Amino acid sequence: MRLIPRYILWAGVIVLALTFLLLNSGLDFTYVIPKRLGRLAAMVIGGVCIAWSSIMFQTITGNRILTPAIMGYEAVYLLLQSLLVMAMGAQSLVILGANGNFSLSVLLMLAYSWAIHRWLFRNGRQNVYFLLLMGLVLTMVISTFTQFAQFSVSPGEFSVLLSFSQPSFGRAKPEQLIISCILVATVWLSIRKNLPMLDVLSLGRDQAISLGVNYQRSVQRYLALIAVLVAVSTSLLGPTAFMGIFVANTTYALTRSFRHRITLPMGCAIAISIFIVAQLAVEHIFNYRTTVGILVNLVCGAWFLMLMVRTRAGA
Amino acid sequence: MRTGLYILFIVLCCLSLIIGAQQLTLSDVMRLSPDAWITLSASRMPRLAALVLTGAGLSVCGVILQHIVRNKFVEPATAGGLDAAKLGILVALVLAPTIGTLGRLLFALTFSFVASLIFIAIVRRIRFGNTILVPVIGLMYGSVLSAIAEFYAYHNNILQSMQGWLLGDFSKIVQGNYEVIYLILPVVVLTYLYAHRFTVLGMGEGMATSLGLNYPATAAMGLILVAVTVSVTVITVGAIPFVGLVVPNLIALLYGDNLVRTLPLVAAGGALLLLACDILGRLIIYPFEVPIGLTAGAVGGVLFLVLIYWRSRRCA
Amino acid sequence: MISVNNLSKTYGTKPVLSNVTVAFPSSRLTSLIGPNGAGKTTLLMMLARLLEPSSGSILLDGRETSSIKLSNYAKRVATLRQSPDFNLRLTVEELVAFGRFPYSRGMLTADDQHAINEAISFLTLDSLRGAYLDEISGGQRQMAFLAMTIAQQTEYLLLDEPLNNLDIKHAVQIMRALRRLCDEQGRTVILVVHDINFAANYSDHIVAMKDGTVHCIGAVPEIVSEQKLQQLYDLAFKVIHDKQGYLCNYFTTSGEQE
Repeated sequence: MRLIPRYILWAGVIVLALTFLLLNSGLDFTYVIPKRLGRLAAMVIGGVCIAWSSIMFQTITGNRILTPAIMGYEAVYLLLQSLLVMAMGAQSLVILGANGNFSLSVLLMLAYSWAIHRWLFRNGRQNVYFLLLMGLVLTMVISTFTQFAQFSVSPGEFSVLLSFSQPSFGRAKPEQLIISCILVATVWLSIRKNLPMLDVLSLGRDQAISLGVNYQRSVQRYLALIAVLVAVSTSLLGPTAFMGIFVANTTYALTRSFRHRITLPMGCAIAISIFIVAQLAVEHIFNYRTTVGILVNLVCGAWFLMLMVRTRAGA
Repeated sequence: MRTGLYILFIVLCCLSLIIGAQQLTLSDVMRLSPDAWITLSASRMPRLAALVLTGAGLSVCGVILQHIVRNKFVEPATAGGLDAAKLGILVALVLAPTIGTLGRLLFALTFSFVASLIFIAIVRRIRFGNTILVPVIGLMYGSVLSAIAEFYAYHNNILQSMQGWLLGDFSKIVQGNYEVIYLILPVVVLTYLYAHRFTVLGMGEGMATSLGLNYPATAAMGLILVAVTVSVTVITVGAIPFVGLVVPNLIALLYGDNLVRTLPLVAAGGALLLLACDILGRLIIYPFEVPIGLTAGAVGGVLFLVLIYWRSRRCA
Repeated sequence: MISVNNLSKTYGTKPVLSNVTVAFPSSRLTSLIGPNGAGKTTLLMMLARLLEPSSGSILLDGRETSSIKLSNYAKRVATLRQSPDFNLRLTVEELVAFGRFPYSRGMLTADDQHAINEAISFLTLDSLRGAYLDEISGGQRQMAFLAMTIAQQTEYLLLDEPLNNLDIKHAVQIMRALRRLCDEQGRTVILVVHDINFAANYSDHIVAMKDGTVHCIGAVPEIVSEQKLQQLYDLAFKVIHDKQGYLCNYFTTSGEQE
């Protein structure tokens, strides 16, 4: 029962990918198709990061509504971009270079996550919800700073800023893609052997300890891995807010399974499809009058609201 | 403690009148020279009035929302109220650009009210509500509304100016521009008159009904009061986060949740917090100012973090 | 044998447990009883390593528990708290399979399958094997969780108020199952229980706690006496002991003892 949808979904992804690559391209293999390949690669890597980070995060927090974005990562990213533009003007892109910007933002987000983990786990605080509360407050505080920065720059600079705060697939240079690949592969190697451990974590703290899992250490470890994934996806693509919840919940609905061995790959397929579909929609249906980011946020956000109103959003 | 609070309040009021880009000394104020009078009447006193009313209004809003939702961490910023108001103003600007302040206020009000209703409906679905889940959902709900607003704004090319109005900034307050904020006064008075009912509301629907309170009607009224305050504030000043969150929690920790006793303190506390933040904002990079949204966000955020840390220590 | 020595726990300045020293006899069913706030759950949680003691030590067969690796500890001590209301779509069989995690870490072998089947039939849950947790009753769910701890095949079983929110039939079923685990499989069972009648009729040993200290310890006949229970609960008791077992009546006795 489960195998059929899985293969169909992956087949669908491949079809979508080919459509994206080849539609209206005139089979131009020297320019158009390589560029599209680059964007496709960004979609794939970004999709993988988003799917894994959201699913793992929801396992650890035991809740289907949360997403790593509320920990403040995306807020930090936006703040960084705003400050860069504020400090160096629209020239920031030239001065720092796209790769510089990318590396800086990955490093900053990792530093931020290290800081909150150190601070929050210092007293042996084992309550994940406390962590979330902190993330919430920090998000709000950081957003105020960002709003201020955004307002203080000139309209020209604001457009530059805007382009960074919206997800875009075309921005990623090959070097960034390679670095991202390496990081994602490292994360995969870390979790690959221990997928059942994630399954146990979803039973909750008490049960996990009773089954012999060092809860605190595991949670810290997975949160660190999630941080890497979020850093990569946000720096590569831009903030993607609600997509994580959408992907995670759709995965659970389609796979009807809790095993991460099944949900993680499925999540990737779904995330990648969403990106490709959104990009195709922007290109061919909306004719660039909106952006992928806004579209994805709108659809996923509305879906999120519907989810909240219809189901019993428990625990 | 209470009298200390009120004295501090008066001191800060005077300071607020004096500080500013235009040099004024206490003697100028006393003598009421024509220059001084213009500055005072056109800018400082309106500003003071707006500060006090906004501070009081926002913290009172926070208290009402907290009692309706029965969660200590909700306030207009974490319940989608502010973002809904923003959306309302946006829609007003796009659909009816010449409508004037009162018309925009109406739009903002309706959107804010409807959004709060939806939020309450959502929250009720959450059984076993872990306390922190509610504001998190509220924040995400706010982001959704924000996303809708962005979609609309991007389409109409007013995204950047939208960010502008949302940032709380009292330097916009000039005589002739702000009078609508006096609407907060009846809101605060009404809340005080209904304080007892709101306290009962906070005990939950079951308990309230068994005590004979008309739960839906009272809750709706509370929401309307909140919507009015939020829209008025956003239109005149912009969004100011945390005031509705920090002040009620602090007061509740010290004096409990009986609104009849604590409401005046909550209002005064809110006004005090905003006054302090505003004065700070005006002094830090004198003669320029840091907008209140920023100072309140930073100060409020830090205060809030200290508050939760302290609380968590107490119940280890 | 599992024992605690001078165990204390304070939250800030509030002492929840003070200098508790108890030895829990092996292959016996011991009940922790006492009024609310006595520290029973706190003690149990420390045995389960869900909570860190402020001072004192816990010994498992002579070794300090803090020195035993958690993954090994799970092969010897299993804990069941009140069945959490989570929203995982798990079937009963999948849940019980989790009990094998300390041994096989997710890769189920034939031995594991055997243990799972044994646990399920021990509690006669075979008909519910494929049912989803959120589709069965609260009592059945609690039984499923118990099956999971049984499948963990540990020598020691710790249970925190397992009978809460259960109807009479399921409560009796669980207590009978625990009794069988002791008698047939020689396991040591320690549970926190509120209902004095269940404690009296199914335990071998009782540890009575009050205000964070041990009030009295001993075999059931010693502890289940009107005088001791009155001192413990501040209520007048009438205890009837016959061939059927114990019946503690605190409902219709007159007045409260101060």
